[in-house]
Amino acid sequence: MVLLENDSFLSELTKFFQKARLNGSVTMTFKRYDGRDRPIPRPDKPPDKLPEPHEHMCLVKAKFRSKKISTVIHQKDINKFQVAYSSLLKRQPGRIEEIKET
Amino acid sequence: MTYLKSWEEFEKAAEKLYLQAPSKVRYTMKYVHSKNQLILKMTDDVVCLQFKTEIAQDVRKIDKFINNLLRHMVSKEH
Repeated sequence: MVLLENDSFLSELTKFFQKARLNGSVTMTFKRYDGRDRPIPRPDKPPDKLPEPHEHMCLVKAKFRSKKISTVIHQKDINKFQVAYSSLLKRQPGRIEEIKET
Repeated sequence: MTYLKSWEEFEKAAEKLYLQAPSKVRYTMKYVHSKNQLILKMTDDVVCLQFKTEIAQDVRKIDKFINNLLRHMVSKEH
């Protein structure tokens, strides 16, 4: 799993979609992420000494074949990411229509 | 696991599931170009909701839904 910046994630994602045109599939996962990078301590163990800063972010992962990429979106970057992601997704369903009509 | 029949059904159930535990839920979409299929999944590891579509019109609705979802995920609520 490679953690990328938002921009490079989107360009890699575009490549994934292009490669998946012939065969295969692209899988994407979205999950709320609070920045924690260690497991939640068990109840019988003393709690973590350093409480993680609590900011809501979004973890986005994408997979094509064996390639996996991921990115973390902060609140300030959400608009930019959404615009780019929407246009990418909308380009794909266009193909769905084209194929169905022929 | 069965697929829900309509997008409306999925959207309603997914929204409810997400609001129950926003930090537990993950949303997955799989795009299969060769079959022109989009498969969606929303789960909190207890309940699993799935939906698949081949219709471009649904994709527009899905896009709107993802936008809302993303926006909520990064917002300070909860």
